[in-house]
Amino acid sequence: MIYSCKIEKGAVFLNGVKQPIGLSNSENWTKELYLELGLNYPKFYKMDDLSKMAILSFTILKDTVDFEKFGEDDVSLIFANSGSSIETDKKFLTSYSENESPSPSLFVYTLPNIMTGELAIFNKWFGENIFIINEKYSPELYLEQINFYFSKGAKACLCGWVENKNSEQDCTMFLMTNDGAKTTEKELLDIYNQ
Amino acid sequence: MKEVFISYGSIITPLGNSEEQIFQKMVAGDSGIQTAVEVGNKNENIPLGKIRDLSSDNHYIELLNRTCDQLIDLYGDMVAEKSTKIIISSTKADIEVIPNDSFVSTRKIIKSKLNNHGDPLIISNACISGILAINTAADYISHGLFDNVIVIGIDVLSDFVTFGFQSLYAISNEVTRPFDKSRKGINLGEAAGAVLLSKNNLGKTFTAKYLGGSSSNDANHISGPSRTGEGLFRSINKTLERSKVNTESIDFISGHGTGTIFNDEMESIAFDRLGMNSIPLNSMKGFFGHTLGAAGVIEVICSMKMMEHQILIKNIGIEEVGVSGKINILENNLKTEVRTILKTGSGFGGGNASLIIQSIT
Repeated sequence: MIYSCKIEKGAVFLNGVKQPIGLSNSENWTKELYLELGLNYPKFYKMDDLSKMAILSFTILKDTVDFEKFGEDDVSLIFANSGSSIETDKKFLTSYSENESPSPSLFVYTLPNIMTGELAIFNKWFGENIFIINEKYSPELYLEQINFYFSKGAKACLCGWVENKNSEQDCTMFLMTNDGAKTTEKELLDIYNQ
Repeated sequence: MKEVFISYGSIITPLGNSEEQIFQKMVAGDSGIQTAVEVGNKNENIPLGKIRDLSSDNHYIELLNRTCDQLIDLYGDMVAEKSTKIIISSTKADIEVIPNDSFVSTRKIIKSKLNNHGDPLIISNACISGILAINTAADYISHGLFDNVIVIGIDVLSDFVTFGFQSLYAISNEVTRPFDKSRKGINLGEAAGAVLLSKNNLGKTFTAKYLGGSSSNDANHISGPSRTGEGLFRSINKTLERSKVNTESIDFISGHGTGTIFNDEMESIAFDRLGMNSIPLNSMKGFFGHTLGAAGVIEVICSMKMMEHQILIKNIGIEEVGVSGKINILENNLKTEVRTILKTGSGFGGGNASLIIQSIT
């Protein structure tokens, strides 16, 4: 089975259906969504935008999937984007080049895989993680990696494309369970393009 | 699953430009770390593992180009073949260009130099990137998708990373001393290394069998290791299981050993919990510094040199072991049978990864 969620400024899609959540196009859309979802996770406010989007998408996805059935080592995280942690990189660069005070709280988010770490912490998941930098969203790449992790024993793969680059902010997330069902590249492309 | 072979391709580190030259210096106990003048955020002098014979200002571009040249010398047309895949392991890549995209030049150089048909797969997963890249390369081989996968691990020194680790108070003002009682933190370093994972034993350089690998998250903290070594413990257990190897047959552990109080303590607890108390272990950070995305790859290469020469290299910087887990840190070089090696790494984001290689004979 495949379950999906896509969030971006102004819109939320769950399993292909646009959700009736009123989001503005403002810079603060992740905070709006956090409040809208009634999440109570104070760490959220300390996170970079990549991690925020990942936690929000996951929270929405969680409503339609019984994650409790997976053990703490069962879920592999396969995440990717094209911009790495570029927006936090820029802020950290400014903190020392202009403000002469390199910020430790920014520095720790200058790695894209911190986001998968945040998801692991949020869920107490000890499974496998991989973060890939790719020029564009690639269904083929996900299917390849999912196949690798299923054959190594993962019961599910939580995959994501989380981008925060220039003015682009969006997160496409999908969960594939290891039950023999096949997913096509087209299906994965449709999730991204909605 | 198909058999997977691993061999070393190229290596450029603060200790030299060939694996044999570097290894001989390691046998002699030479460190590539030297104090650099006024390089800190407040112009402090800081010990760094800097490559001294680079001629250009952009170390990343030069190192990646030189690595490609070495790979072409060694493998010829194979680097461009359809059955060959390229994987890059790097945390920050061409970091000098930030605020611009620091990964663009990587794709360009790989494409133009190696003329490979496909895009390289770039893995950026903090300090476990190198081990993860090798494990992923093995996946491509064992699933029959490629005949050969070249893994290049590379990261260079920069103000960005130096100032960042300074801001975390993680940098030592002396040559790093992993697992020692008086360790004070890390030294940063720069390096590039490449290994080949293959379905065949090509015999171009020393070759071993890749048996298995895995990763596991601590699910604990984004910038501090688990107190119980949970992720590392779980990753090693998975790797042993996948490799069909038991603890008793591991001859040597190439640990991560960054030289920080918390990391080295965490590793010792994980190894202790696994009953790996008497297996000889070292960290190579005292030779090269912490080379981030390159670390896993160059440390696997140096581990293979130990297998080739049947000698284990000491953990330089050790005087008195100062961790609470009972482990067997190599205080001297040791001539012994080196057949099966466990390599581990841990990093920011709570990542832990490990792999096992074994000699063919």
